Amino acid sequence: MKWLAKTIARERRALERARQRFIAKPNQKCLHDVRTAGRRFRSLLEDVATLAPSERLRRRVKRAAAATDAARDATIILQLLQDSVEPGEAEMARPLLEHLREQEKKATRQAWRELRRMRFT
Amino acid sequence: MKPQGVNLDGVSDIAELVERVLQTRLSEVHALKGELARREKQGLHDFRIACKRLRYALERFEALNPALQAAAEKLALLQDALGEAHDRDVLLAILPTTMAATQRRLQSEREGCVDRAIALWAELQQSVQALDSHSI
Repeated sequence: MKWLAKTIARERRALERARQRFIAKPNQKCLHDVRTAGRRFRSLLEDVATLAPSERLRRRVKRAAAATDAARDATIILQLLQDSVEPGEAEMARPLLEHLREQEKKATRQAWRELRRMRFT
Repeated sequence: MKPQGVNLDGVSDIAELVERVLQTRLSEVHALKGELARREKQGLHDFRIACKRLRYALERFEALNPALQAAAEKLALLQDALGEAHDRDVLLAILPTTMAATQRRLQSEREGCVDRAIALWAELQQSVQALDSHSI
């Protein structure tokens, strides 16, 4: 099926481009783009697994997503906590905010290290 | 939650492929839709993942069938509402117990997100029925 082969190739290229952008610029926007491209590609591979078996590739895409989970979680939860703390509780939130900031930096560096080694071409 | 495998035996054209993928992903959504009423963390998360899989399939195929676009857009909104509820669940789980006012605020926002998801699901019924009856 021509359409399927073309779609797989297109989504694979999209993931590789997003990965390269993140490696060049490891910020939250680029991390988000890698995650989105990875999820879409993985979902396609799962949907057509019996027509286009690609278990190794699917596992690699899954690993890429997992490599970015901790960074994404820390970023989202940090932002949410900053936006939600009631004024009288700001001091109590400080240790958790610091922990999340540290976790965000560490997890983004770790995602960068892991994604630098992967290729989707 | 692992995705259900799509049975593609005998599929030889794209229309049949679209049909089988959408019906499988839709059946996952139907199997978990009761979680909206239960409002529990894990169940809502599983329902959100099922909605996401259906949405990605709809978006992938909308170039072949533009009628799928409206359902995909509504599912994206539903998924956002459930995602915001999930983020609050994650933060509530690690929030110091001494932060009672923040906890109440997050809990109330979380319930608001679930209410929004329930309303969006109700709005989606027409699209879901059209998919169920294979009329789009």
